[in-house]
Amino acid sequence: MFKKHFLVLGLVAVIVLLSFSVSMAAEVIKIGALYPMTGRAGLYGKDSEAAIKIALDEVNAKGLVKGKYKLDVIITDDQSKPDYAVSVAKRYITSDKVKFLFGVISSAVGLAVTEVSKDYKVIFIGTDHAATDLTAHKFQRYYFRVSNNTYQSMFAGAMYLKDMPGWKKIAYIGPDYAYGRDQWLELRYGLDKLGVKYEIVGEFWPKLYEPDYTSYITAIIRAKPDILVAGFWGGDTVAFIKQAKAYGLFEKMKYFHPDAGGNYELFAAMGDELPDGLILSARHHNNWPPTKENKAFVDKFYKATGRYPSYAAQGAYAGILFIAQAIEKVGNPNDTEALVKALEGMKLKLPEDPEGFTSYIDPKTHQIVQMQAIGVTEKNDKFPPAKKMLGNFKVYPADKLMPTDEYVELLKKTKK
Amino acid sequence: MEIYISQFIGGLSVAMLLFLVASGLSLIFGVANIFNFAHGSFYLLGSYIAYQTISLFPNFWIGLITATIGAGLIGAILEFIFLKRLYGRVNEGPFQILLTYSFILILDDAVKFIWGPEYKTIVKPDILEGSFVIGSIFIPKYNVFIIIVGIAIALLAWYVLNKTKAGMIVRASSLDRTMVGLLGVNVSMVMTAVFGIATALGGLAGAMAAPLRTVTPGAGIEVIIDSLIVVVLGGLGNFWGALLGALIIGEVNAFGILWIPQWASLLSFAIMIIVLIFKPQGLFSKSR
Repeated sequence: MFKKHFLVLGLVAVIVLLSFSVSMAAEVIKIGALYPMTGRAGLYGKDSEAAIKIALDEVNAKGLVKGKYKLDVIITDDQSKPDYAVSVAKRYITSDKVKFLFGVISSAVGLAVTEVSKDYKVIFIGTDHAATDLTAHKFQRYYFRVSNNTYQSMFAGAMYLKDMPGWKKIAYIGPDYAYGRDQWLELRYGLDKLGVKYEIVGEFWPKLYEPDYTSYITAIIRAKPDILVAGFWGGDTVAFIKQAKAYGLFEKMKYFHPDAGGNYELFAAMGDELPDGLILSARHHNNWPPTKENKAFVDKFYKATGRYPSYAAQGAYAGILFIAQAIEKVGNPNDTEALVKALEGMKLKLPEDPEGFTSYIDPKTHQIVQMQAIGVTEKNDKFPPAKKMLGNFKVYPADKLMPTDEYVELLKKTKK
Repeated sequence: MEIYISQFIGGLSVAMLLFLVASGLSLIFGVANIFNFAHGSFYLLGSYIAYQTISLFPNFWIGLITATIGAGLIGAILEFIFLKRLYGRVNEGPFQILLTYSFILILDDAVKFIWGPEYKTIVKPDILEGSFVIGSIFIPKYNVFIIIVGIAIALLAWYVLNKTKAGMIVRASSLDRTMVGLLGVNVSMVMTAVFGIATALGGLAGAMAAPLRTVTPGAGIEVIIDSLIVVVLGGLGNFWGALLGALIIGEVNAFGILWIPQWASLLSFAIMIIVLIFKPQGLFSKSR
């Protein structure tokens, strides 16, 4: 009898102790994330979600500030709509009491949410959207971006073209909205800064998600550029390349797509059909840099989802790690001003950093400073279903790729 | 001169794919008076069914057939279970839009659930790889195939609608459902069959477009806008109007891109506005 009582008492004691230790161990810090989960961009939302889980597992395994805090992320489909995203962000802050806003693929959504972050003084960690504006003339001190902006990738592109011999005529095709327009502006700015002489023989502006490029392709071939610069996004690259291939476009000119052309989903979708020799880059590559950190990240992602990550995943992963490191450094997740200070200039070794380089956040603009690698498509079946990947990478130094004050002034004058 | 020919042929192949999608939309509207907002989703289903079939049996043609039949069957079932309940109801129009819009959301998510969010692709059959090269003009074989199928569908539709008894019943049903019903025709089944055929056309278009385009959730909504412009241009519910509308949009875009690339993406909307102002019933408004 006594034995039985003892057992029950013991059990109760264990349960009480356990729940006590759990509540002691982990004050949960909420992060409110916004990603598209439907339509074309849904792929990037899903990949970001998977990467967030990987990062949370790593961070929460040991807990933050000696086990005092844990991170939790709420994700809502922003439907790629700025108005809707703003209402969700406000709800996150007022009723869910999140300490950070997080994520966002579309720059239009990013530009809207940064205003909420500013008004409510809540830190917003941008993990993917690339509009330079956010860390230039639309800068506000509660916003931080942990993936590169279009200026960085296009300036690296300009450096690549400077070193490429035997071309003069250049044409551009990109979606007819801010993202497409910015890339072309930034590439030309870069070329001019570097003193490259070139002649523009055509500019083409299909709408985003244009299904049929046939008429553009014949018009581009007629313009006879040496280089076709492309600014497609979100699967439009797949449609364009498929359609252009039958016209022999890739034998007639170099295809150059330095911001989002080298996204893994293009390689996965096209397999053997992808032509060799396309010059592309992306915000993260599954096969560059060949460091153990990158390999570990890609392998973990593959294990969790059964597929290789698109570029958006690494940004989301990085965002969680930055938040964790900032809280660790400050020791108090409620001291927003101290967290802002901690994030400014913060260094963090990320999967996309090559040996000998560590990403850091520029204290002045809150933009992450990273190396850019541009490669050329070639056979590589190590990341199925892709049959081709980028190789022969050329790498550009991070500090040379930041927007100059002059460029920020130009943005201020030309954009509102 | 050569550039005009290649631009024209390019425009023609764009037009024929547009026609394949828009013809189904127009047929449903003309006969059943249903505005099927979800027509693009059957295009999407066609792409994915073709993708699935081809990954099981690597044959493009089998994929094309299963996509057509599959999209048609799903369309007929949805009409039979859901849309039928709306016929004759007060405010039928708004209900149709709500219901078919919900189809878009459900089918889009179903596709993502079954096949995942990543982009898919279908490889062209070997026989349609490559291009005919005449001087400096490239004409991809696959585009020629699309043009031929488009013309064939238009001719077949003309024959069925005008020369067969079934076609006569369909045309009669579009004019006066009650009267046709009184004559002993099962109008309800006619509606289901027409809806099935129309969505089958959407499925066929999706499967045929898949080797050229990105197969991804959301693709259905993207084609519906252009199809709507085509249908409005031609006159809502007019099969031939859809053909003419598709040809106009395809060619105007092709030459717009050549001459005024900065404004090209505006042109189809500009034409639609002009037609709506001067001929609001559409270009083919008189005959039906």
